[in-house]
Amino acid sequence: MKIVVCIKQVPESNQVKLDPVTHNLVRQGVAGKINPFDRHAIQAALAIKAQVGGEVIVISMGPADNEYCLREGLAMGADRAILLSARAFAGSDTLATGYTLSQAIRKLGAVELVFFGRQAVDADTGQVGPIVAEFLGWPQLTLASSLTLKDRRLEGMRRLGDLEQTVALTLPAVVTASNDLNQPGYLQPRMIKASFQQEITVWQETDLAADPLRLGVSGSPTVVRKVMAPQRKQQETVFLATDPQQAALDLHAALHAKNLI
Amino acid sequence: MVDLTAAQLMLHQMVREFSEKEIRPNDMAIDQQRFFVNGIYQKLIDNGFLGLMLPEQYGGAGFDAIATAQTIYDLAVGNASVAVTLEGHYKTLDQLLKYGQPSLLERYLPSANQRIFAFSMTEPSGGSDHSTLGSTAVRQGENWVLNGNKIMITNGGLAEVYCVLVKTAPEEFSVFLIDQNMPGFKFGKRENFLGLTGTPIAEIFMENIVVPADHLLGKVGQGHEIGDSAHADARILMGAVAAGIIEHELEIAVAYAYQRKSGQFRLTELQAIQRKLADIALAKETTTLLYQEAAALKQQRRPYAEVAAMAKTHGSRQAVRAGDDALQILAGYGYSLDYPVEHLIRDARALEIAEGTVEKMRGEITKLEVATRI
Repeated sequence: MKIVVCIKQVPESNQVKLDPVTHNLVRQGVAGKINPFDRHAIQAALAIKAQVGGEVIVISMGPADNEYCLREGLAMGADRAILLSARAFAGSDTLATGYTLSQAIRKLGAVELVFFGRQAVDADTGQVGPIVAEFLGWPQLTLASSLTLKDRRLEGMRRLGDLEQTVALTLPAVVTASNDLNQPGYLQPRMIKASFQQEITVWQETDLAADPLRLGVSGSPTVVRKVMAPQRKQQETVFLATDPQQAALDLHAALHAKNLI
Repeated sequence: MVDLTAAQLMLHQMVREFSEKEIRPNDMAIDQQRFFVNGIYQKLIDNGFLGLMLPEQYGGAGFDAIATAQTIYDLAVGNASVAVTLEGHYKTLDQLLKYGQPSLLERYLPSANQRIFAFSMTEPSGGSDHSTLGSTAVRQGENWVLNGNKIMITNGGLAEVYCVLVKTAPEEFSVFLIDQNMPGFKFGKRENFLGLTGTPIAEIFMENIVVPADHLLGKVGQGHEIGDSAHADARILMGAVAAGIIEHELEIAVAYAYQRKSGQFRLTELQAIQRKLADIALAKETTTLLYQEAAALKQQRRPYAEVAAMAKTHGSRQAVRAGDDALQILAGYGYSLDYPVEHLIRDARALEIAEGTVEKMRGEITKLEVATRI
């Protein structure tokens, strides 16, 4: 089975900066790493491959240095890697990204399963997986926390807060993996070293038979008007008395004073 | 500061995550129970740490001196004993790669991905002064026969393969590889040491151990050189252990000083505390620069023994001093056996002794300075 995992490179640090003009994340000069949720997606793809055979292809879209996250995918055990990198792709929002990825998946041909992480930790949208499913016209299972494949029927559970939902679908399909789905291990030093000896295929817009108006900025209707960092409020911590009875009385009084009880 | 290559960076990110998730949560338990609790040793094996610097042809990952030192640092931030156990293993593999005969390496090195190798020089009669050694190897046809007693071996008992420095003639020293499965190999007692308690330090006995000729490292009489080489390689990594301990001390001291208030001020706002915190940070930076410089020199195939000795000499004292500062900042909590600072000081104190005392290293540094200037 040909399985694709779409992965994203995110800044290593949590100290993400925003461009004051474009309101986009500043990614230049920041050490990158694979989006942590995508590790669950790769792990899930490798598990399916172990069950039914085939190959796992990792795909990422972005500038040349996104090669790093693809090598992490190879170090986890993916068979090959494709980087979608071209000026025409720059400035893509989730819609243009989804379109570009779906064109790459079409070009690969005979893909039966596409995995995504549930969302990226930098932009947190979680939209690209579902958008790709729509472009391909395939059923989708988002936030999968369990997955079983029998013949061509995929069954998975979605955990949505207190609610659990079981979904069954037929291949080909798109799955976004939640972090409950599996527990990816650590990269093996040998695999890290080997991943840097593997070739990475680079595809540009001319390789994809894509509509140029759907790529990059022209294919991106999203306008980011304002991005705000949540304001940090520093508040005093009040410690309750050590005597449990007094502590309970103090807590009751404090909550009552704020009209919370 | 050394710039890591992309592959080294990926390794560093993995090791740091491993250290944070698997080692640091067990730091206190390792110190108190005096072994690698919760299967940490098996996890090191399963995750490829033993073969990290072993060339690919022997099943290793083939990472270089810079990546190896960075790994030791990252592990030491979690727990210094774990880092020192790998330091002892890596330094031994380094000597086998430099001096081992191809037939020996082919037989033994693939197994170094799964089991620890150790290097042993010290005897009851002396450590760095080889002239006092009593252990011997005597030629018997195609083989050598080894006898004697080696003590204070890093990873003694945990390691399964040992490189031992012995006399092959009066005033002639050589290094041989022996295996715990050989007839005549016996383990002695484990030392009851103050710090680095997770790493076993123990003695072995050799009673008529017969080894084939290719178990000789280098040539007959090359023992001094191999011993010095082992020390130089070890001291880079000991510098990295010291830097890792200081980072751990700094992390604890800053976190505590920031949340603790004296009157209306956080401790981080008090000059007396700032001086201590700044000194700990400075110690971490200087130690890091020294071990990284030594590793870079080794990688560039330039002389590195002197800077390696400096990394260990400077780093070990700074790690003890920084621990003392951290203890003072945490006051009662710093002095408590229930908090980690006191064991960091005990761990750091070992670094002033292991792999050559700081007094011996100052002698070596001076000798090299004189030799290059006079």
